[in-house]
Amino acid sequence: MAPLLCIEKLRVTFRTRYGEVTALDSISMHVNEGETLGVVGESGCGKSITALATMGLIPSPPGRIADGSIQLAGEELIGANSARLRKLRGGDIAMIFQEPMTSLNPVFTVGDQIAEAITLHQNVSADRAFTDAVALLDRVGIPSPDRRARDYPHQLSGGMRQRVMIAMAVSCRPKVLIADEPTTALDVTVQAQIFDLLNEIQRDFGAAIILITHDMGAISEMADRVAVMYAGRVIEEGSADSILDQPQHPYARGLIDCIPTLGRAERTLKEIPGVVPPLHLLGAGCAFAERCAFNDRARCTTEKPRLIDHGHHPAACHGVEESRL
Amino acid sequence: MSASYLMKRVGYGLLLMLGVVILNFLLIRLAPGDPAVVIAGEMGGATEEMLESIREEYGLNKPLLTQLWIYVSGVVRFDLGQSFFFNQPVTTLIAQRILPTILLVITAQILSILLGVFLGVIASRKPGGVVSAFVSVFATIGYAVPVFWTGIMLIILFASILPIFPVEGMLSVKLRDANIFVQALDVLHHLVLPAFTLAIIYLAQYARLGRASMLEVLGSDYIRTARAKGASERSVLFKHALRNAALPILTVAGLQFGNLISGALLVETVFNWPGMGRLAFDSILRRDYPTIMGVLFFASFMVVVANILTDMSYRWADPRLRGKS
Ligand SMILES: Nc1ncnc2c1ncn2[C@@H]1O[C@H](COP(=O)(O)OP(=O)(O)OP(=O)(O)O)[C@@H](O)[C@H]1O
Ligand SMILES: [Mg+2]
Repeated sequence: MAPLLCIEKLRVTFRTRYGEVTALDSISMHVNEGETLGVVGESGCGKSITALATMGLIPSPPGRIADGSIQLAGEELIGANSARLRKLRGGDIAMIFQEPMTSLNPVFTVGDQIAEAITLHQNVSADRAFTDAVALLDRVGIPSPDRRARDYPHQLSGGMRQRVMIAMAVSCRPKVLIADEPTTALDVTVQAQIFDLLNEIQRDFGAAIILITHDMGAISEMADRVAVMYAGRVIEEGSADSILDQPQHPYARGLIDCIPTLGRAERTLKEIPGVVPPLHLLGAGCAFAERCAFNDRARCTTEKPRLIDHGHHPAACHGVEESRL
Repeated sequence: MSASYLMKRVGYGLLLMLGVVILNFLLIRLAPGDPAVVIAGEMGGATEEMLESIREEYGLNKPLLTQLWIYVSGVVRFDLGQSFFFNQPVTTLIAQRILPTILLVITAQILSILLGVFLGVIASRKPGGVVSAFVSVFATIGYAVPVFWTGIMLIILFASILPIFPVEGMLSVKLRDANIFVQALDVLHHLVLPAFTLAIIYLAQYARLGRASMLEVLGSDYIRTARAKGASERSVLFKHALRNAALPILTVAGLQFGNLISGALLVETVFNWPGMGRLAFDSILRRDYPTIMGVLFFASFMVVVANILTDMSYRWADPRLRGKS
């Protein structure tokens, strides 16, 4: 069976004052029906841009989809006309954003904002849409939903607002739900609740979820498969179990080493030294080479490694390719 | 919006009006020159005896504070004294002229806000485009050019080159006895040039402000959310963005109202519009102190009312301000 959403060799560029930079460099990933794909990677590696490209929401200018293909159930989205994309957005593909505090319009009630999403895609009356919105608020666990529906965003806490965003996103039973770091801005107890809610929603609505996160703990709980991104490329991809147990790429290993484990001896959290290089400074070699402990090959600084399966699952690393290190 | 807040605002407004009345009175009385001489001048010739009797008649020989008390207690009963020149109660004079001024000022205000904001919104869609450049240039010119110059240029244009709008007065003489509907149309026809002349300065400012605040709002997260749920570009611009971008415009509109009234004074003079501006002009030339004070009183009354209305509409437009005081 063909995957539900399939991103092939997607290239996105931005015009900046350093010239045209490549934010996504030929990335491919896919998600199957009812599955959760985790997308991980450090800040700035292109996770949100991947999500926005899928939604057809790359800010343009300065952004541009330079190449590649995004197919939803066999339908090509790149280059589709804007009316069709509008129908899909919020209908078949919905998205939850990183910033619940600012993602709702301050001058409309949350009930109206959810109802709007409903009327945009379903042929129902405004009253009916509002009733549905209240039911959705109830579904995402907001107490006294009929009163809350008449509240404005500033009257709700961050966690509640993210619940509202989730209600809005699932209001039209999307096939694909993209959750872009849905819990980054929330405190820890609320984070767990939101992940539980996403799990329930997936069970009830049967949506495929693309979960973007820095949080490897969340990945181990939620994801079926994982794509690890670094500096605009997918550098490792496979089932969640395989990646968590047998990370191949030194960067993926670093990420997994960073997961704090209860009862482990060391007191300090590990971290990967260095930072992601800015896009305009990316050279010909592996973008991770500078931070990598195994960059002793000449190829590491002259040639970009390709994503190849070396036994467990695909990874893009010369070291893994040559010596299975 | 709470009634107690409204009461508080009205209370402050009344206090402010009282301050204005007292200040006006003192400023004009402390200015050099003897009102009795002015009145006597109107009557032709002035013996010391006549001056005495004039002072007696107008209460000018009483102590200043007593005069102030008499004036203020008159104002409270809407008695603004007797015009030196027109020899009528000032209230009557103003009552005859206030409606044309209100008509002119409100029309100009609405025209400048609607047209200005519309231009601003259009310009914000393509910040580097032609409309955007036009708005910037137009805003600079509109701001720099004095209102009487615009008025005179329009008179030249429409009096001789393109005589489609009347350039003088408010109602054609031949329509004195026509029915009310025909008269209303004629008034609107006469209103076009003065209203546009008055509007043009502010129109330019609103266009610039509208463009800037739309650009800011269009970059915000909730606009991305609106697009993500599949809203049309028109709904994104005019519903989601404009409601937010209107907030700073409302503030400025409220602040500008006073300037608009003083602008109306000039425009009425240029176009011979029979409003309070003409009255102010005439009474200043003739040193008709009670009338000048009366005009100032009503102008500040309009400004105070406009400020209260602005504040109320601001609270209506921005739910975050409701319930606060
Ligand atoms: N409007 C833009 N103009 C230029 N470059 C941009 C723009 N938006 C994003 N980028 C670049 O694209 C890259 C990827 O950004 P993206 O927002 O996808 O990162 P991310 O992985 O989501 O990070 P985070 O975890 O911080 O959300 C970044 O390096 C960023 O500099
Ligand atoms: Mg992001």
